[in-house]
Amino acid sequence: MKRFFLLLCCLTVLTGCAAPAANPEPAQAQFFSMDTLMSIRVYNEGGEDALQAARQEIEKLDKLLSRTDPDSQISLLNSHAGDGTLVLLDAQVTDLLTFAKSVSQLLPGCFDITIAPVMDAWGFTTEERHVPTAEALTAAMALVDSGKLTVDEAASAARLEQAGMEVDLGAVAKGFAAGRADAVLREEGVTSALLDLGGNVTAIGSKLDGSAWQVAVKDPQNTSEALCVLSLKDQTASTSGGYERYFEENGQIYHHIIDPETGYPADSGLLSVTVISSDHMLADALSTTLFVAGPEEALDFWRSREDFELVLCTQDNRVIVTEGLEAGYRPAGEDRGYTYEIARR
Amino acid sequence: MSVSLQRLTRSAVLTALALALSVAEGLAPLTILVPLPGLRLGLANLVTVYALCRLSGREALLILVARCLLGSLLGGNLMALAFSLTGGLLALAVMALLLRLPGLSLFGVSIAGAAAHNTGQILAAIVVLGTPAPMVYLPPLLFCSLVTGAVTGGVSTLLVHRVPFPGKV
Amino acid sequence: MRSPAADRRRPTLWDGVVALVVVALAALLVFLLRPAGGSNLTAVITLDGVQVAQYQLDQLDQPITLTVDEGTYPLTIRAEQGRICIEHSDCPSQDCVRTGWISKPGQQIICLPNRLIISLFGSEPEPFDAVTG
Repeated sequence: MKRFFLLLCCLTVLTGCAAPAANPEPAQAQFFSMDTLMSIRVYNEGGEDALQAARQEIEKLDKLLSRTDPDSQISLLNSHAGDGTLVLLDAQVTDLLTFAKSVSQLLPGCFDITIAPVMDAWGFTTEERHVPTAEALTAAMALVDSGKLTVDEAASAARLEQAGMEVDLGAVAKGFAAGRADAVLREEGVTSALLDLGGNVTAIGSKLDGSAWQVAVKDPQNTSEALCVLSLKDQTASTSGGYERYFEENGQIYHHIIDPETGYPADSGLLSVTVISSDHMLADALSTTLFVAGPEEALDFWRSREDFELVLCTQDNRVIVTEGLEAGYRPAGEDRGYTYEIARR
Repeated sequence: MSVSLQRLTRSAVLTALALALSVAEGLAPLTILVPLPGLRLGLANLVTVYALCRLSGREALLILVARCLLGSLLGGNLMALAFSLTGGLLALAVMALLLRLPGLSLFGVSIAGAAAHNTGQILAAIVVLGTPAPMVYLPPLLFCSLVTGAVTGGVSTLLVHRVPFPGKV
Repeated sequence: MRSPAADRRRPTLWDGVVALVVVALAALLVFLLRPAGGSNLTAVITLDGVQVAQYQLDQLDQPITLTVDEGTYPLTIRAEQGRICIEHSDCPSQDCVRTGWISKPGQQIICLPNRLIISLFGSEPEPFDAVTG
């Protein structure tokens, strides 16, 4: 008797999600920040205040971290490049710089937050995209070296050792913002919310019925379709792919994820990388890094750690899903020619 | 035995029987075969049919209410009580009505009872959960009630004929 | 209680009628509970948070072309029955034009330089809660 009622309750609530009537409208906001479109949905009742607090937190971070805002801490740091000044920074910014440097060391040559001059040379910053001249690229590449970014954590300060160097936190800021927004929402008692920070999806808690959030990974070759669907709880899924921002010149496609070794768009055999982790910042940073690294190195790195999972979409239409996701994932692109495989440790 | 004591005793025995049947049913739930929430054979309904046929509507009601209350004590909760009471009462009302009609056998009565029980449960679920979503389970449950109702109808026919006079020992 | 039903041993024709009534009720419910007809596909166009247009895409008889020039870069939106796209944009990145047609609830076209969003809503439930990528 009891079992039947529990079952009935569970199932009715489960199906209730499909029926619009059972799914109360969440408090939601959509806004532009960090050069991308963000949305926050809070499903707990009376979540409006928490939502606004999280939004303000993100916008505050944007002001601290934006390279295009002349009043930001990053602009301050960049403006003192090469003049020897140790620039005093907000503790959050120092933490973020330290973290970004550590990622550069984890996978040497695949990630560098001082890539900004090269991004400028390609026009990805100003949105006037073009292939840079060889001279322009060489000049810009000479400014890329996160080893010349000195961070003094104790003093909460940093310094760029060479004039012309610039830091851009674009590859980690959204993950950091997700972490802060997550903390703010939880302080406000939120247990069920979804953040979409420009394609980085952070699942906070679970759905109100306790089930996992269903998050689709975009098919990089057909962005209106899903590659697969993941079940997430208290995790971020961050995707990097060349399809997000690119341009064509002389019949050649150039995308925005630049390999810090070559200065050219990364060509590692991958179409997209999705990193799933309960560490929001790690997920964001690793998606870019592992896209540059390529499938083999990405899987080797995954095997060396326990704190994230991967969905890799390769240029030869294979979708490699790491074993930690196996239980909660379902493929969605077989009819478009994808083959799915599970990577094991 | 005095009449009232006799009634009390047989009601108690039947209540215990109904309880035992519903517990037994819970041990091997039909939902393992057909994953439909709320689906069960409805063996406890046998007792209701029997009580309606061989005792009286009043006693049938008494047994039903006692069974539901005790059942929820045995391992249910308030929500479970609401579900089983609503279903049970609706089934009882429908069967009491149909038993007065001339042309039916216990098969038809049981089928209608099973259907009414399912309808009552779903209505209770809608009220308790505050959403019309459980309604989607009603059509398949109604189809299933044809089978479960026919089975309990067959068993109750046997029961009513083999044990025609309760308590006259 | 005297009941003729209690005395019978075999099902009667009327039992069949009862069964038929139950089946009919179930069928009626299935019919009433079927998903509401029409996809109700609606496109909402917002420019920097302000709604500039809304179209009922499933009821469009002929294509509509809308020019939005209040933003930084003028752009042209084309709406047809069941789908919508940005046909042309003066924005430098062209990401919005490359997105192509969208036709399912939950899909969006974003023109970042213009802060313009085209969002699709519909009565069909969206198959997932969010999309990464």
